[in-house]
Amino acid sequence: MNLLRFFVQNHTEVLESIRGHLWLVGWSTLFAMLIGVPLGILIAHRTQLGQPVLATANIIQAIPALALFGFLLPVPWLGARADRLAILALTLYALLPIIRNTYAGIRGVDAAVVEAGRGMGLTESQLLFQVELPLALSVIISGVRVAVVISVGLATIAAAIGAGGLGEFIFRGLAMVDNRVILAGAIPAAILALLADFGMGWIEKRLRPQ
Amino acid sequence: MIRLRAALGLLVACSVALLSCSSSHSDRIVVGSKNFTESFILGELIAQQIEAHTNLKVERRFYLAGTYICQQAMLAGRIDIYPEYTGTALTAILKQGISSDKRAVYERVKDEYERRFGLTLGPAFGFNDTFAMEIRGEDARRLNVKTLSQAAQFAPQWRAGFGYEFMERHDGYRGLVATYGLHFAEEPRIMDLGLLARALKGRQIDFAGGNATDGLIPALDLVALEDDRHYFPPYEAVPVIRQQALQLHPEITPLLADLGGKISDEEMRKMNYAVDAQHRDTQDVVREFLKSKGLVP
Amino acid sequence: MIEFRDVSYNVNGIQVLSGLNLRVAPGEILVLLGRSGSGKTTTLKLVNRLVSPSSGQVLVNGAPNDQVDVIRLRRGIGYVIQEAGLFPHFTVARNIGLVPKIEGWPEERIRARVQEMLQVVGLGPDLALRYPHQLSGGQRQRVGVARALAADPAILLMDEPFGALDPLTRDELQREFTLLQRRVHKTVVFVTHDLREALRLGSRIALMEAGKLVTVLTPNEFVKSPDPWASAYVRAFGDGLESAANRGTS
Repeated sequence: MNLLRFFVQNHTEVLESIRGHLWLVGWSTLFAMLIGVPLGILIAHRTQLGQPVLATANIIQAIPALALFGFLLPVPWLGARADRLAILALTLYALLPIIRNTYAGIRGVDAAVVEAGRGMGLTESQLLFQVELPLALSVIISGVRVAVVISVGLATIAAAIGAGGLGEFIFRGLAMVDNRVILAGAIPAAILALLADFGMGWIEKRLRPQ
Repeated sequence: MIRLRAALGLLVACSVALLSCSSSHSDRIVVGSKNFTESFILGELIAQQIEAHTNLKVERRFYLAGTYICQQAMLAGRIDIYPEYTGTALTAILKQGISSDKRAVYERVKDEYERRFGLTLGPAFGFNDTFAMEIRGEDARRLNVKTLSQAAQFAPQWRAGFGYEFMERHDGYRGLVATYGLHFAEEPRIMDLGLLARALKGRQIDFAGGNATDGLIPALDLVALEDDRHYFPPYEAVPVIRQQALQLHPEITPLLADLGGKISDEEMRKMNYAVDAQHRDTQDVVREFLKSKGLVP
Repeated sequence: MIEFRDVSYNVNGIQVLSGLNLRVAPGEILVLLGRSGSGKTTTLKLVNRLVSPSSGQVLVNGAPNDQVDVIRLRRGIGYVIQEAGLFPHFTVARNIGLVPKIEGWPEERIRARVQEMLQVVGLGPDLALRYPHQLSGGQRQRVGVARALAADPAILLMDEPFGALDPLTRDELQREFTLLQRRVHKTVVFVTHDLREALRLGSRIALMEAGKLVTVLTPNEFVKSPDPWASAYVRAFGDGLESAANRGTS
């Protein structure tokens, strides 16, 4: 098939783009977890902070991706390298599902279990790491899964500002009016998203407490 | 739990493998271009030149949407070489003020690129794709007008048309009329760049602000007036290359040197016209040109 | 051993406890009896400082319990709740061995102790590697007690521990608990709303109503008490209470 031949002929380029894509998604998801999980834990324990934090994350989510990229472009250190900027923007978009699910996961832990633990003399940090987090893990991973799938999609737009990834094929293909080039970006992107969703869903299920 | 760990381990291993199976640029070179005709003619030119004289595999990544995108792709190493304009590099990337001294602009860009980005410039292709003020060929001959200074006396009889960007830029319309003392009959009409040439031909306007290498200039018998006061900044077309790529493939340097100065304004117009108006295949047009210059067998 | 001095507790404008004065003697089972909202669970939680009094003092072993490190306080007190509150992601062994583990006991000692505790609460050693969801309600509750006893605390707090079990299992566990207490002699504060259970298990019964301590009596005294609340309770529970009162002490 025409498309298949195209993939074979350009396999280095396609692989390189996939790599670039994973780079963007990987780093941004990691940062979002490093920021989002502690934040989620914080607001689960101090509910009065919950409103402003979740509201902020919600607002960020509502900003259209391309607009956010546009806002950040003039910023000196960020705008100098498009992948830096893209990773920041993708991190911001990944925050809401991760914070929200961490919050829900921790709050969803049986209060009686937590109280029993506290009553037994577990310190707050022991409670967190030995009881709350393990029991909330499945829900948290579910949030990470949503974040990853969103990121794979948004990373295609990142190519519009020069960050590379599979979106570059799509934009080039559009300019060239060449479907094969478009699909060379679109198909791997879709597959990546599905794989991520599937893979993480499997992990999530394994981690669910019986 | 063991199966889970095994699966995670497999995932990590795959990721590492994927991320490190590097696009080694040791046997290939990636040529980029922006998304307009002149840019991919130049990109194709570079690509064919390299293909004809080396064993390197040349990958083409044309149609990148603009200066910033190309710059980012260079910095990230996704492309190794692409055609840029000195004036654009100076103002859009380096964000510095422009002068009209061609050599100075070229040297400035080269120095800054080498110092800041690890990129360098090859020799200029030979043409200057700057702004060109056009009038109809018949008017030029009848009034014996060749330069903008000469044209100034006739301006009050003419209607002018310019693109939106030219009107907005401080080194565009305002500077032009100030430098040459142009007073047009009425406010200039703002039009889409692509329509300027035809509007000029069709007598809807008498003076148009287009690009120097627009293929329609010879085709429609239009004349680009000489910028005798050197108002317009130079936009010499140059190849921008990653220094790393040059180190990996030093054989490219002489090849790019061979391309230096080979394309005149007129020749670029002809190639643009062939692709844009005559809808000829870019690759054929470029191959023909390279043959005509004796650069490829 | 445990003393409440003029303790009051209010939250969100509700007076949950007022003017509580109560002493718990070492080695006795003090039952906090009352209906929902009487403040008995709150009283229990004041001992291990899961709740802090609005006024007054709670003393444990002679020292006000807000002047000692709360973690040390809690690790020295066993805490058993209804439905056991076992950690669902830990095995039975890991549940029981939790406090010894965080107290830094050597592995060997923990393992031995877990086996010992399983025996003490009448469970076979084969249950050690099972997960809570694989156990019956009665088994879970026994594990809860084993967990509370694992670090050998002097005090045991129990909040309606047998409340969610079927009558047969409840009866069984009550009987076993009485026997267990004879062996280990812990100071126990036991919350229940079931008079029969109170009579059977308690050395003394502290009757609470609407946040106030009404009276503290031995089971036999309680059954015959002229106090209006006590007799209301007795009436509500019907006949055959004398035998329950006696069974507890035999």
